[in-house]
Amino acid sequence: MTRVRVTAPRTAARPAKETREAAQDSEVGQVFVRSLIRSQLRLALVVAAGFLLILGAFPLLLAVVPGLAETRVAGVPFAWLLLGVGIYPVIGLSAWLYIRTAARNEARYRDLAEDQ
Amino acid sequence: MNPGVALAALVGVSVATAVIGFYGLRISRTTGDFYVASRTVRPWWNASAIGGEYLSAASFLGVAGLILLSGTDALWFPVGYTAGYLMLLLFVAAPLRRSGAYTIPDFTEARLDSRPVRKVTSLVVVLVGWLYIVPQLHGAALTIRITTGLPSWVGSVAVVIVVCLTVVAGGMRSITFVQAFQYWLKLTALAVPILFIIFVLAGSGSAPLAPPAVNPTGVAPAGLYQNVSLLVALLFGTLGLPHVLVRFYTNPDGQSARRTTLIVLGLLSVFYLFPTAYGLVGRMFAPGLARAGQADAMVLLLPGELVGGTAGDLLSALVVAGAFAAFLSTTSGLVVSLAGVISQDVLGAGVNGFRLAAVISAVVPLGFAFMTDSFALAGSVGLVFAFTASTVCPVLLLGIWWRGLTDAGAIAGMLTGGVLCGGAMIVGAFAGVATTPGWLAQPAAWTVPAAFAVMVIVSRATEQRIPKTMSKVMTRLHTPERPLATER
Repeated sequence: MTRVRVTAPRTAARPAKETREAAQDSEVGQVFVRSLIRSQLRLALVVAAGFLLILGAFPLLLAVVPGLAETRVAGVPFAWLLLGVGIYPVIGLSAWLYIRTAARNEARYRDLAEDQ
Repeated sequence: MNPGVALAALVGVSVATAVIGFYGLRISRTTGDFYVASRTVRPWWNASAIGGEYLSAASFLGVAGLILLSGTDALWFPVGYTAGYLMLLLFVAAPLRRSGAYTIPDFTEARLDSRPVRKVTSLVVVLVGWLYIVPQLHGAALTIRITTGLPSWVGSVAVVIVVCLTVVAGGMRSITFVQAFQYWLKLTALAVPILFIIFVLAGSGSAPLAPPAVNPTGVAPAGLYQNVSLLVALLFGTLGLPHVLVRFYTNPDGQSARRTTLIVLGLLSVFYLFPTAYGLVGRMFAPGLARAGQADAMVLLLPGELVGGTAGDLLSALVVAGAFAAFLSTTSGLVVSLAGVISQDVLGAGVNGFRLAAVISAVVPLGFAFMTDSFALAGSVGLVFAFTASTVCPVLLLGIWWRGLTDAGAIAGMLTGGVLCGGAMIVGAFAGVATTPGWLAQPAAWTVPAAFAVMVIVSRATEQRIPKTMSKVMTRLHTPERPLATER
């Protein structure tokens, strides 16, 4: 058995499939592409903003409610549970929501592009 | 701690890494295997590999050490490291995969159709990589000094030698398996000892020495500005790290790049529970570890301090093994991606160019590591994130989402962010930790907006330079890849 050197060029992006671009070169195709990009950007911004709001609300909650930070749950102060454990499910949930909706946006784009 | 046990753990990790690397080499041998790795690397393997590469010395040692020192303020570090991946998912994961670019310079060159942009991006990426390797070597130096009593430089040199040998021998091909293995090793190495410690503490009913709110060193708590600036750096720094992008290339398409990122988020969330637990247990039961002035070594010392005896030695050995897995995996991931950039842009492609570039990428930061002193690992990695967020992040985000970006704007923005953030880092390094004002110690909150602003303004002023290929590239970045005919 001999080893083979990897020889394909690693520079620059490789062209995407021809079929993919043919349908998108027309003016109508470009309109669909623009609207896809806009809806994906809007989705990403909404999810990011929602996550950051929740993230900001956590320390605010601890600062506003007196004594909450020191309240013990199973021996662990609540502030530690909230910031050290509670934030991660929020991150996971945001990610899951985003992926679902992003895939739906792409499916809608495909339907449009097919109908064309 | 027994130095023999620590050395055995160290040798064990290096040998395991080499063996798995060899196994990976044996099953992927041809050019086809390399490029079609996209079809054979399953999302779980890929996600474990991303996790293995991403969890560095800062995560393994630094986070727990910083929590020991500054309590809940330091919890923003693990949150930011994880949420950075959320931002990566939202704004860059699928478009970057669809770009087909292998490195960040590849991406900027393809998007802006410009060689000068490629050169500047390469320069920035190499700087980021070197800056990121230095704390790994500091971590290795600290671990060796604390656990074996050998001089510090042995640790850094050992990491560089092992990384050079594996990268020069195997290149990229075997790395996925090694990195995936190292994620699970790191997780086990943190989880088993802390669960054992909690079990012992609960069984013996020992009372905490200090309440968790008490700061053992009396360092002033970070202000609102510092926390916000840190979060900006961590949230926007992750998506520009050079070794992260390469991993997305091994996904078959954009949607699976997203799914892989979701798994990575889960893996990171589980992992960061444990440094947090170390920090909390250390604060309550072993506050003395912070006073000794080596808080970063807390994870290594805690099992010996709280369990002791043979059990303590064995648990310590496990932690040392995990720590070395962290130094090795992050450093080798960075060295591979840096070597790719350096060999393409400076030395010319080819295997020998790649090997020489790999050695250069590992040895230069070793020099930096000797010249500088290690202070809080999580803090110095945080600064690297600030630098990435001020340079690579704006060009990626604007390149993916804004049609108006031009090569002149990209170069001006990257240079602005790099000079401002790099300047703040240099001034901060000379002024020392204690005397640096907050806005210089955590520069991201003003350097990132500055870089974005310059990039947008200069692009607006040079609108005629928008590349002709722009709408074609934007289409490729954002449209799902399967050909319409075979859809559903």
